[in-house]
Amino acid sequence: MNGRGHDLHLLTGAYAADALTGAELAEFERHLARCPSCADEVRELRETAARLGMATAIAPPPGMREQVLAAAARTRQLPPPARKLSALGGPRRGTRLRRALPRPLTAVALAGMAAAIVILAVFQVSTQHQLDKAQAGNRAVAAVLAAPDARIQTGTASVGGTVTAVVSARDAEAVITTAGMPAPPGTRVYQLWVLSAAGARSAGLMRAGEGGPTSPVLASGVQPGDRLGITIEPAGGSRQPTSTPVALIPVR
Amino acid sequence: MNTSPTGREPDGPAHAEEGRPELAGLLASVARGDQAAFESVYDQLAGPVYGLVRKVLRDPAQSEEVAQEVMLDVWRTASRFDAGRGSAVAWVMTIAHRRAVDRVRSESASTQREQKLAPGPVSGDDVAELVETALDRQRVRRCLGALTSLQAEAVKLAYYGGYTYPQVAELLGVALGTVKTRIRDGLIRLRDCMGVTQ
Repeated sequence: MNGRGHDLHLLTGAYAADALTGAELAEFERHLARCPSCADEVRELRETAARLGMATAIAPPPGMREQVLAAAARTRQLPPPARKLSALGGPRRGTRLRRALPRPLTAVALAGMAAAIVILAVFQVSTQHQLDKAQAGNRAVAAVLAAPDARIQTGTASVGGTVTAVVSARDAEAVITTAGMPAPPGTRVYQLWVLSAAGARSAGLMRAGEGGPTSPVLASGVQPGDRLGITIEPAGGSRQPTSTPVALIPVR
Repeated sequence: MNTSPTGREPDGPAHAEEGRPELAGLLASVARGDQAAFESVYDQLAGPVYGLVRKVLRDPAQSEEVAQEVMLDVWRTASRFDAGRGSAVAWVMTIAHRRAVDRVRSESASTQREQKLAPGPVSGDDVAELVETALDRQRVRRCLGALTSLQAEAVKLAYYGGYTYPQVAELLGVALGTVKTRIRDGLIRLRDCMGVTQ
């Protein structure tokens, strides 16, 4: 597909209609991050698409309201993104000073952090369910890496390679990268999951591979006791894991 | 929704959203855990969310499941709504559309290796349309009717049909580049026709 240079700008409509997928979606989102006029146009076309959506309104099934409200009552909400906290005038100074990392950052951990930050330069957003992703993806990842309570956990994948998670309990978020994992077979993909007592929730696909690092994937709503799992799934990913995880990292 | 343009209809005061100015404020309350605010958000948007999801997925049971996930997402991620980056309606409808499309694509990826593109009619719901959104519907029909037929088809297949734009190109038998620009041109004309300023 020809998607080079100013041609990319023409994808604003397809993007606003969620008609882009795969590598082209990632490429457009990278473009979007440094093209304010594209971002403006996407915003307007999204508002326009929303009008198309509003026009489809029909009465929802009668039992749905009760079920949703009951589910909400037992569902913990995400905290505001870190950048909003700091915009309130740095209320977390005390926390920041006491920034009790579980252990001093070792050379290995620092190297991991540095690697994660380097990978940021080529960050491709791939969490499909993350709404903010286009504009805030990089910042959200940076926020996790910079969180005062950020801690690094690493694991080994059964297919070879390592998985690194930078977890911020305060923000309930984690950034996950891998290195040295072989490309999944055929058209299959690596998919990241947040596994909790409530079940498995997709955090998105992990792009690239081939022994190189995958782009950082941001997982939200990550709580201590959860586990981060990576499975091999059919192209496009699955709604629920369909294979045994090749890597599992407990969130502490 | 019947998507064929119905010709001249009274346009009415074009203020469908302005009648619900408090939605952004409600979301801020929802982010603080206000369940009553969430009920109001639900009452305003569950119909559009369910309608859009059902438009894309067709299957009532799946649609209900996905619509529930969408509304729960709204509850869970309300703190991520940023009024500076768009309207509350667009934020919620974007979640709904993504969820519906994700469902379509994960299903077609897992069930069909080489998917056969079958363009079902993008209409024919035998369900009750909501009176509150009658004006939205009229305006959308009128504005879609003002597009070229290729623009209208491309927009409808992509947005209501949940097809990727290469699939839309195949369905319409036109080049990828053509579909890319038609979707964009179509949405831009709809934007101008509907007076979207955000």
